Amino acid sequence: MLTVSVKWQKKVFEGIEIDPTLPPYVFKAQLYDLTGVPPERQKIMVKGGLLKDDADWSAIGVKDGQKLMMMGTADEIVKAPEKAIVFAEDLPEEEQATHLGYSAGLVNLGNTCYMNSTVQCLKSVPELKSALSNYALTGRSNDVDQTSHMLTVATRELFGDLDRSVNAVSPTQFWMTLRKKFPQFSQLQNGMHMQQDAEECWTQLLYTLSQSLKAPASSEDSDAVKALFGVNLRSRVHCQESGEESSETESVYSLKCHISHEVNHLHEGLKHGLKGELEKTSPALGRTALYLKESLIDSLPSYLTVQFVRFFWKRETNQKAKILRKVDYPLELDIFDLCSEDLRKKLEAPRQKLRDEEGKKLGLQPKSSSKDSDVKMTDAEASSNESGESSTVTQQEGASSEKGTLHMTGIYDLVSVLTHKGRSADSGHYVAWVKQESGKWIQYDDSHPSLQREEDITKLSGGGDWHMAYIIMYKARLVSM
Amino acid sequence: MAPGPDPNSVGDGAKRDEATTKVPSKDPKKKDDKKEEDLSEEDLQLKQNLELYVERVQDPNPELQKAALESMRQEIRASTSSMTSVPKPLKFLRPHYGTLKEFHKNMAESDLKKLLADILSVLALTMSAEGERESLGYRLTGSEGDIGSWGHEYVRNLAGEIAEEYTVRQGEESSIEDLMDLVQQIVAFHMKHNAETEAVDLLMDVEDLDLLLEHVDRTNFRRTCNYLTSAAKYLPGPDDMLVLDIAYMIYIKFEEYPNALQIALFLDNMQYVKQVFTSCTDLLRKKQFCYMISRHGITFELDPEMVENDVDREMLQDIVNNTKLSEGYLTLARDIEVMEAKTPEDIYKAHLLDGRASSGPSADSARQNLAATFVNAFVNAGFGQDKLMTVPSDSTSGSAGNWLFKNKEHGKTSAAASLGMILLWDVDAGLTHLDKYFHTNDNPIIAGALLGVGIVNCGIKNDCDPALALLGEYIDKEDSSVRIGAIMGLGIAYAGSQNDQIKSSLSPILNDAKAPLDVIAFAALSLGMIYVGSCNEEVAQSIIFALMDRSEAELGEALTRFLPLGLGLLYLGKQESVEATAEVSKTFNEKIRKYCDMTLLSCAYAGTGNVLKVQDLLAQCGEHLEKGDNHQGPAVLGLAMVAMSEELGLDMAIRSLERVLQYGEQNVRRAVPLALGLLCISNPKVTVMDTLSRLSHDTDSEVAMSAIISLGLIGAGTNNARIAGMLRNLSSYYYKDASLLFCVRIAQGLVHMGKGLLTLSPFHSERLLLSPTALAGIVTLLHACLDMKSIILGKYHYVLYFLVLAMQPRMMLTVDENLKPISVPVRVGQAVDVVGQAGRPKTITGFQTHSTPVLLAAGERAELATDKYIPLSPILEGFIILKENPDYREE
Repeated sequence: MLTVSVKWQKKVFEGIEIDPTLPPYVFKAQLYDLTGVPPERQKIMVKGGLLKDDADWSAIGVKDGQKLMMMGTADEIVKAPEKAIVFAEDLPEEEQATHLGYSAGLVNLGNTCYMNSTVQCLKSVPELKSALSNYALTGRSNDVDQTSHMLTVATRELFGDLDRSVNAVSPTQFWMTLRKKFPQFSQLQNGMHMQQDAEECWTQLLYTLSQSLKAPASSEDSDAVKALFGVNLRSRVHCQESGEESSETESVYSLKCHISHEVNHLHEGLKHGLKGELEKTSPALGRTALYLKESLIDSLPSYLTVQFVRFFWKRETNQKAKILRKVDYPLELDIFDLCSEDLRKKLEAPRQKLRDEEGKKLGLQPKSSSKDSDVKMTDAEASSNESGESSTVTQQEGASSEKGTLHMTGIYDLVSVLTHKGRSADSGHYVAWVKQESGKWIQYDDSHPSLQREEDITKLSGGGDWHMAYIIMYKARLVSM
Repeated sequence: MAPGPDPNSVGDGAKRDEATTKVPSKDPKKKDDKKEEDLSEEDLQLKQNLELYVERVQDPNPELQKAALESMRQEIRASTSSMTSVPKPLKFLRPHYGTLKEFHKNMAESDLKKLLADILSVLALTMSAEGERESLGYRLTGSEGDIGSWGHEYVRNLAGEIAEEYTVRQGEESSIEDLMDLVQQIVAFHMKHNAETEAVDLLMDVEDLDLLLEHVDRTNFRRTCNYLTSAAKYLPGPDDMLVLDIAYMIYIKFEEYPNALQIALFLDNMQYVKQVFTSCTDLLRKKQFCYMISRHGITFELDPEMVENDVDREMLQDIVNNTKLSEGYLTLARDIEVMEAKTPEDIYKAHLLDGRASSGPSADSARQNLAATFVNAFVNAGFGQDKLMTVPSDSTSGSAGNWLFKNKEHGKTSAAASLGMILLWDVDAGLTHLDKYFHTNDNPIIAGALLGVGIVNCGIKNDCDPALALLGEYIDKEDSSVRIGAIMGLGIAYAGSQNDQIKSSLSPILNDAKAPLDVIAFAALSLGMIYVGSCNEEVAQSIIFALMDRSEAELGEALTRFLPLGLGLLYLGKQESVEATAEVSKTFNEKIRKYCDMTLLSCAYAGTGNVLKVQDLLAQCGEHLEKGDNHQGPAVLGLAMVAMSEELGLDMAIRSLERVLQYGEQNVRRAVPLALGLLCISNPKVTVMDTLSRLSHDTDSEVAMSAIISLGLIGAGTNNARIAGMLRNLSSYYYKDASLLFCVRIAQGLVHMGKGLLTLSPFHSERLLLSPTALAGIVTLLHACLDMKSIILGKYHYVLYFLVLAMQPRMMLTVDENLKPISVPVRVGQAVDVVGQAGRPKTITGFQTHSTPVLLAAGERAELATDKYIPLSPILEGFIILKENPDYREE
């Protein structure tokens, strides 16, 4: 009989007897009583390895009073979870893309950053995307020429590719058709394609799209692009000499922000841009006279585009020079005071509503004095408004939801910024900064998208050699009534 | 160069005082600038006297001669104690030096001639032309009087001339006996007068350090030994060994055993270690020795000769075996109140980054989870608890299981092994936790469990050899991941043990034609670790054969680099011993030949500071080679390995690397950050930090990756806020690049390793000793980092666990005579170099007073702030046993 002590975890069991004539399994059974570890899971360290069930005690050479060490637990054996864990690395590419929360960048094909950034900015308009996807391959109406059709298709394909891909997309097809449609973009310099003005690209592209996306049949809401971007201006043309006055309306796709010495803020620039002088023949005077033109906004678009008029033709240097002046722009733009009287009236109610809602969000009670009758309604609607608010994301959704119709408020939120860095329009570098649906800002520097902070976006206002906003796009804040 | 107190100085001082009180304006210093005509009356008098003496010396009357010589001697002796200005008698005698010399030549042999020779010898101090050694020449022909009486400066000059003369005579192979008599005198003089350093210098010059033993006494042996040990770093071999031998003998002579042990360990001389044990009779002090040996990380068996009593021996062996390390570490952790487990998120501190990383991805990324596994393992290393792996599995599937399965395939290996890291040094609890993973049928998990067992046992020895018993079973399993787990586990658990049983089971794998390359690579590496610095022929042979058997294609694989590395580790720090093997390596396939050559060279001279080797390696780095040559990486690492031992060489290496970075090829540049990381491991120098920070944004992603890992290495275990901030910014900068982000995460884990209680520095005992196993662990990781993409970012990320070999608590824990922790006040401050300083200079500066246990940062030193206790080791690091001071009186 040998007496040994066995150390197990932190415990030591003294004086365990071993009968050398019996196999070690018996010893293990003894330990099972003491520790509760089943013999098959006991690992007992002896000289030269583990103690085998059928080993011979004499061969192992256990001495009297020796300390043995046992390892083993009665714990449950770990099992793999039934549902296998899916790792991001295993996902197909498309899902990885959604996973990132933003889409891919565009490869620079040689001075095509003006085009890349334009495409990225426009792509951030979901309505445009859906309009494009409705554009049937064969649905080319006769009044659209072949090249426009091809460009439209190419745009649609490119948008699709961007959504699907994780890695940067090469917009070769799009570029080809763009150059076919607008040969001015094919200018060469030293055998390279020249840098172009992004604003020109933007305008031309939108114009083409508006032409081809015009629904041929239905008369109202015929022009999808116009509905999205078009701004109706009502202008009063006034001649001071003759006192003549006339009014005209026009539709533009973007507002201009003129930059002069007094302009420090977008709002001032816009006001400036809506006033103009023009010379035309005065029927009363019978000669050309100076007319003052004052425009006001008559109808609001879903997406308000503002172009900073930063470039002007400098005769001395024979190039488009750039105004580096810093012009601040807000993340939230209110253009109420640029609107015409009629429009203002229309906007009043939705704006009140919006204020109330925001007040409620901040924990303030809507002022009952403002609209006695409305108190109940707002309360009743409050609960349902949660869905209404979320539905303001896209117009279509909002329209299809049954919670009344959505109304413009004249308040806009910044969604994308196209910046330029450099000293002239035909050189330097264009970059797009786009707000994602998740609320994150992404900088699309050709093929490199990168996350940005919102507070840095307003710092692109110029005044140095850093990227400065050239075209910015606001999205209307809607409210359901 | 202030002369020490001198027997002459008293009389001299008195005399000068007299002079200055008489004529205050006649300051001797100012005096020298003036022309001769401006001589004061007194000086004029002196000058005339001396001229008279010179004349009289040449007088035929011996009586007059003698009187003149005596007077002259008197004048000179009274003034030669200081050399801030030329003593006046010497100055006035200058014009007569030639005359006297001439006269001396013609003099008949007599006492007077000797007397004149003495004087001439002193005069030669200022007169003799460089290299003539006239002072020495006249000294040897002069009377054999007390040389000290001529003043300190004279002796010093004489010592210099002796050294020159010695080299000349060595060249001529003529006798040096007469010189040695003089040396005896000079050494005795120096040792008596606080000029130990000069005595040592002289003896080193004349290659007779043994003389020192006769002259040291209780008052000066410490300074002597201190100088010897620090001088050893700058001496070429084998002189350095000789110097340390002497230091060892002096320490033994004065029963300063802890220091003697330190040197014995430095020399890696087990005979000396044994002698320390046999010479010392105090059991308590032996315990302290055991703590020192355990910190060094070598395997050491006590035998009855060293400790007679069986019970005592067992207790001491327990200390050597590090079985109490976990307990001490946890005591420290509780005292500092950092027991609370930390999650990887606590380390990433994503909330401090603005908006970018805030919205985490919805799906689990295997790469990021793997990074979190490592971070969790490093941060909670040794604490025995964490929030991912050890959480009790009470719910249905258990969260531990959950986290494990959030890692993919080979990632599960690292996850299971991380348990070993969390329960580091606590063998009992570790094995209990790991046990359940042995029973799955998921091979990567079993591999991880095996590796975990190895990690838990790292640096801990146990009579039952649980690691060997458990892992031995799996070495020859079918699945190669399981085999690697077992082999690597053995390598970690038995590093430095030279265990024959493991050798006999691992060696066959090396030469097994059927074994896959990765298994062979890890087997070679593990053998290298187990036999680190042993120069074991047999193992070397096996690895060499394994290397020769590799096909051309296999030699190109990333993992093949572990074969030469394993070979190199065998010779770690063994200098010339590597030469035979290096010769053999020249016959290898050219693909691996140079790589092997560089690895062997750098390992063999690791930690020696050998300047010639540094130059060799630098020359290699400077070459611009064709693509495909990969030996420059190890050359750059080698540079750091060789130069890392002492501060001067280290700074020079950092500067050279800066050049290499600018002019080197890309493959050299990639290794530079790693070399910097090694040089400053766990020692975040600001300059290096800045360099690495710059490189972490390098356009070459591999340079950036190594720089990031190195940032982690230099900050390892320091919680350095600056590095933590840099890494946090890098994590947002590289948030899209999964590989770089992985590196950033690993680095973050390293910086917060052990919540700041650990260090990776292989140096300890005031930077004197280099733990071979620790260095082996770091070097292995660095070699793996040379090809980051295929090893760490591939499926062999668990090589990161090799760092465990270098992980040690950077603590100072005081224990009483029963080895129970006690708290005493200590001062912790920046260490000051006191080598060669007279008196009892302050050893630390800018200190703060804490109570033990305390953390020691790189370059810090502690000293007891109370007289109540006496520490049993002068080097206050790790475990320190305190004895009550019998002379202590409560105030």
